[in-house]
Amino acid sequence: MNRLRPGLFAKLLTCVVALFLLMPLIAVVPVSFTSRRYLSLPNGDWSWRHYISLFEDPDWGTSLLTSIQVGVLASLLAVLLASAFCIGLWMLRPRFAGLMTGFVLLPMVAPPVVSSLTLYFFLNKLAQWNNLVAYDKLGGVVLAHMVMIVPYAVVVVMVSLSQLDRRMDLAAQSMGASVPTRVFQVILPNIRFGLIGAFFLCFLLSWDEIGVTLFVTSVETITLPRRMWMGLRDNVDPSIAALSVVLICVVTLAIVARAALQFRKARQTG
Amino acid sequence: MRALLCLICPLLLFLGCSYLLPFLGIMQLSFTDPVPGIDQYRHVLSDPLTQSVIWRTIRLCVIVTVVSVSCAYVITLLWVRGSPMVRLLTELCIMIPFWISVLSRAFGWLSMLSNRGLLNKWLQNLGLIDSAIQMTRNEFAVVVGMSHYLIPFAVFPLATAMRNVDERVLTAADGMGASRLRVFWQVFLPMTASGIMGATLLVFVFSIGFYVTPALLGGGQSVLIAELIYLWIFQIPQWGVAAAMSVVLMIAVGGILYLLMRRYGEMAK
Amino acid sequence: MQTGMKKEALVSDTTQIEARSVSKTFGKFHALRDVSLKIAEGEFLSLLGPSGSGKTTFLTLLGGYEPATRGQLFLEGQDMTNWPAKQRGFGMVFQGYALFPHLTVAENIAFPLKVQKRGKAAIADRVAQMVEMVGLSGHETKKPGALSGGQQQRVALARALAYEPKVLLLDEPFSALDKNLRGQMQEELRRLHRDLGTTFVFVTHDQEEALALSSRIAIFNHGELQQVGTPDTVYERPANRFTAEFLGDINILSVDDSARGIAGTALELPANVRSFDHVAIRPEHMRLADAGDAIQLPATVRDRVYLGSKSRLLLETRAGEDLMLYLDNGGALQAPEPGADIRVTWETGDSFAL
Ligand SMILES: Nc1ncnc2c1ncn2[C@@H]1O[C@H](COP(=O)(O)OP(=O)(O)O)[C@@H](O)[C@H]1O
Ligand SMILES: [Mg+2]
Repeated sequence: MNRLRPGLFAKLLTCVVALFLLMPLIAVVPVSFTSRRYLSLPNGDWSWRHYISLFEDPDWGTSLLTSIQVGVLASLLAVLLASAFCIGLWMLRPRFAGLMTGFVLLPMVAPPVVSSLTLYFFLNKLAQWNNLVAYDKLGGVVLAHMVMIVPYAVVVVMVSLSQLDRRMDLAAQSMGASVPTRVFQVILPNIRFGLIGAFFLCFLLSWDEIGVTLFVTSVETITLPRRMWMGLRDNVDPSIAALSVVLICVVTLAIVARAALQFRKARQTG
Repeated sequence: MRALLCLICPLLLFLGCSYLLPFLGIMQLSFTDPVPGIDQYRHVLSDPLTQSVIWRTIRLCVIVTVVSVSCAYVITLLWVRGSPMVRLLTELCIMIPFWISVLSRAFGWLSMLSNRGLLNKWLQNLGLIDSAIQMTRNEFAVVVGMSHYLIPFAVFPLATAMRNVDERVLTAADGMGASRLRVFWQVFLPMTASGIMGATLLVFVFSIGFYVTPALLGGGQSVLIAELIYLWIFQIPQWGVAAAMSVVLMIAVGGILYLLMRRYGEMAK
Repeated sequence: MQTGMKKEALVSDTTQIEARSVSKTFGKFHALRDVSLKIAEGEFLSLLGPSGSGKTTFLTLLGGYEPATRGQLFLEGQDMTNWPAKQRGFGMVFQGYALFPHLTVAENIAFPLKVQKRGKAAIADRVAQMVEMVGLSGHETKKPGALSGGQQQRVALARALAYEPKVLLLDEPFSALDKNLRGQMQEELRRLHRDLGTTFVFVTHDQEEALALSSRIAIFNHGELQQVGTPDTVYERPANRFTAEFLGDINILSVDDSARGIAGTALELPANVRSFDHVAIRPEHMRLADAGDAIQLPATVRDRVYLGSKSRLLLETRAGEDLMLYLDNGGALQAPEPGADIRVTWETGDSFAL
């Protein structure tokens, strides 16, 4: 049976949309090579100065480190809480499981600006009690990011648990296995890829997080997106173009490699 | 049993303390700051400036939704139904922007549209315009940037709907001699209506609380609700009004999501 | 009937497990209704019924994986209704095996022993013994994913038996196997049961499997227990129409009540039955009538299906009811052709009332 393939008109329209999607990613490239200190196109005077400043300016390095710290900590904690929650629900199947899940997913569906305001309010309150987990402190940013990414971790872990054979746990239970044995020796080894996936997703989300970060940081704890924001908002700094080009290249390489692998696999299996 | 509760509770407690309680605090604030009562809500719903921001937000979000869903529909069509090579290419066009930071993407549009940007330079080189035309710091830039951000999000529900279309129905319609255009308009489009509905609501919900892209591309000229809330907190502190606006926004989004769920629930039956 | 009683006597008469009016509901849906059943020590009890009849549900209640909605369960006289699975200590072979995919064959079998904190050497010994018993020597270090269906089945059996449970529950263990392999595994299961003397409670939806393996069969339909008895009791003396039809082909004839006969033929009633609507005879007990037979039921041949050693005749009575019987093809008798009018007969003792 021959599938009805989209016609020429659809293909033309798609080209327009594809161009629209890729255009801004391409437009950054020439800007990153300008020799001037404001957003402009190089006029024959191509320069690497903005790339070099990424390495030389210690602020970028500090922000990179902050972003990595926040990302790793927030993702680890989020995945930990989320997997405990999901495994508990999966094993116990309590009466209000649906309601609990809905509550936990709330930060994912609420408008980001509302979550931001809520967390800003909370961290300001916390600042009256301690100066570790508070407004503009590393701990505070980690907490805010955890709230925002934990729903995604819950979704990923739930999906991998849903593919697990419940009878396997029943089997362990029938052999007298205690809850820790069931969790650590039966369930966790079988969802390890889900956990790794959840960690990566959480890290990427935290790495990119700007909406909430804007509200809960100011001058002390500055993540990479936050620093980019500062460079964009005040006077547009072409270093951001250089940084964007680097990030775009990394993402593109990763996605192209993945797609190529899949494409080859699909070819091989027919 | 108790051990299992120890697994479930930490996350509930964590979110209860750091999300639910503070949100209740925000609600309290909206009724007490600066004056007890519903004055803050009255301000949100009657102040002319706020009104104009709300209307602008709704107007722009509707435009953005229509643009994003239409663009997404076209590209999803090829992603789902194209030949393997076409599928690969469209997938790259969808996935690469999706995984790139919203800031880089907004910056990309600034590089493209600003007075010294690529587009103005091309137009000048072609001799179509004499001096640069202003394409940023206005609603046009906001619509462009937001649509660009939201297209990939619209693709996923559309792709699900298109994958569920029964190939045999199309072949049957084709076999009955219907023209390609007719097959599309009268068979394929209605069969993917649920996906269009889902994508529309999703994009609208996302766009309505959106802050970063409008703030960067609008350049303070076309403020949307989210940016207004930011201003009420960091520029002209009016906590109570910001809180009231947030509560209103939350209720609106909750309502839309409720519609979405009910629709999907009905379809599941 | 007599052979049935003999077989029943083979089973020890100590009740090990008893279910008293057990019910299970999921929301408003009744998965089990008022099931009462005694299971004797060392017996091979099959739970037989169509898909969705509540067999798995009953087994999970026995094993303690789900609480019963109503009713009580006893183990050796003690009320175990509220005991968790752990405390009951039954072995269970799950539908689809439920092996641990991340552990090797040996580690799977060792799992329950490790949970019981047995010594390293004791575990190794026991695992080796179990691997030997189910014939998996040489496969100890493979993961379940690398095994065939039959081999996975053996691992599941070995794992469930490793810690010497008093009772082994099996949920359709052979349903995923092809026919040859299934026969072979059935043989092995019989051997295991004979050698170990463990009580087996075996769920299946396959009548032949239940008839071939069990010392007793409990038949379920729509969550209700229809009948419990030895294989020949339930086959030859089904308690109701469902059991009769579920266990194999059956000829059912309406009884003309006033005449106490079928289509004018007088019929001797089974002694304990006073009044009934239908009489049933298995096809293998029905034959073509000779002149001297007491029962002579006229019928028309509708079709004849050649089956090799036998032929199956499909008949229709005057009252329009369908009948079936088998004829040996080797006999001197010429098989009647479709359209022929014939008379059929059977021994009164082989028929039963429904
Ligand atoms: N956890 C459950 N929730 C709701 N209904 C269930 C559940 N488990 C079983 N059922 C229902 O109970 C009935 C009996 O199921 P089951 O005992 O698995 O049947 P069997 O094993 O005889 O095929 C089925 O109709 C099934 O849909
Ligand atoms: Mg079952």
